[in-house]
Amino acid sequence: MNLIQRLKIWKELRRLEQRVREEPSPSTFVDLGQVFINLDMLERALQVADDGLLLFPDSAELQKLLTFARRGVDRGRIDELRARLNKSATAKLYSELVQIYLESGDQGALHANCEEWSVRFPNDPGPWLALGQARLGNYYRNISAREGADAVQCLERAIGLDPSATRARVLLAEMLFRIGATNRARSLLDAMPTDQDDSELQNLRRQAVAARSLGSDIDALLRNAEEQGLLPNAPPTAAVAAARSEDGIGSIRDALAAIAEMPGVQKATYIRGTRALVKGDIKDGKDPFLRTVRVVAKAGHRFSRRLDIGSFKRGTLQGPFGVICICCYGEVLAAVQCDASAPTDRILAELQEVVASSLYAMGVSP
Amino acid sequence: MNPIQETLDDLRRTAGVKACMLVMADGLVVAEALGARYREDVIAGLSSYLSMTANKALHEGGLGSFETFTLHAAHGKAVFCDIGESFLVVLLDQFADLEAGRSEIQGAVQRLRRSSRLGS
Repeated sequence: MNLIQRLKIWKELRRLEQRVREEPSPSTFVDLGQVFINLDMLERALQVADDGLLLFPDSAELQKLLTFARRGVDRGRIDELRARLNKSATAKLYSELVQIYLESGDQGALHANCEEWSVRFPNDPGPWLALGQARLGNYYRNISAREGADAVQCLERAIGLDPSATRARVLLAEMLFRIGATNRARSLLDAMPTDQDDSELQNLRRQAVAARSLGSDIDALLRNAEEQGLLPNAPPTAAVAAARSEDGIGSIRDALAAIAEMPGVQKATYIRGTRALVKGDIKDGKDPFLRTVRVVAKAGHRFSRRLDIGSFKRGTLQGPFGVICICCYGEVLAAVQCDASAPTDRILAELQEVVASSLYAMGVSP
Repeated sequence: MNPIQETLDDLRRTAGVKACMLVMADGLVVAEALGARYREDVIAGLSSYLSMTANKALHEGGLGSFETFTLHAAHGKAVFCDIGESFLVVLLDQFADLEAGRSEIQGAVQRLRRSSRLGS
């Protein structure tokens, strides 16, 4: 790049930075971020995306910019760590590398690097802790018994290699508490000194003592949670969530009303167990649409579980009636009937938001 | 090879598609292109159960029947398309881009409809 081109780019940059200050909008932030990406200044692009998302948290364009810039920054850091590892491998370098993969969600690379790490440093609990964290993340997302058993195995191995590994112990204790194995969770926690407890750990200790044990057969508890689609105990930090549940219903009602007003939407409903909130062209809880979505969601659950593809999350039915979108998690579901021309992707995203926020209000992690 | 089987084999080669099958509403398999890990009778039975249950619920609600049913689960996706007397079942992995695969699935549906008409 010659000097004149460089000057032109800097001039353009200054103009865009001024535009971002004077007329902030997702597209002005994206334009500026794009110029930084073209100049290979990925850290700056990441900063722009972060700033933009503070002002426009729902912007999909800014989310894309953030993801792209973060991937670029991560790639640079990964290359650097890889080069250092090839020269002289240390457990600390592996830990940094694996942390990047853990944060970016690249499970394939995480697995491969943990394997390499454990081969080179067989007595280091680090790779097992990282694998356990990744599996645990998957488990809390999908409540799949298989992922849960893998997470337990990895964390137990980390504790076996280093019995004082606090992080692995806390993660395992929290998981055991949440699936109902409270006796085992308590014994793990009791083996840890209490002098360095943070508020989260104090909550966990308190709730593990108060909660009723559902048994100590981990496999059976994991299978039971998968069948129910719910974990019996809420995360320990959600101790005050119950108090917010009334708030939660209010915000669900508002969110459902907003969905019902989206273009093309005819009916919208939120169903939890036997109770239903309805908006749009629905007179009452006896509307056949409610039964239809309940039956379809239940059949979807059974199909997914029997086919071993995890729990049913979303479904879209298209036909002469238009489109029916269903989003569900355990016994909670939100559904919409809309015209074929309605923005179904947006509607599904909104339904997912309604389901997720209601679970948050109930103190359940989606 | 008959055109129905050819269509399913072509669809099976699409990125993300793990298995596909043409099945009657009662679960009778017309043709299939499945991966090694799938059992024909299991997929046929479950697909028949899901489509019949969904259609029954839609009929009882006065909504008719579905033309396409797309299902997203934690570890996979499934698409069911009505072909008249039978329906096409496509199983995909959880990372499959349904938008990108839609044209292939729709193309297969058109070809299967044509083949079904010629056969009857």
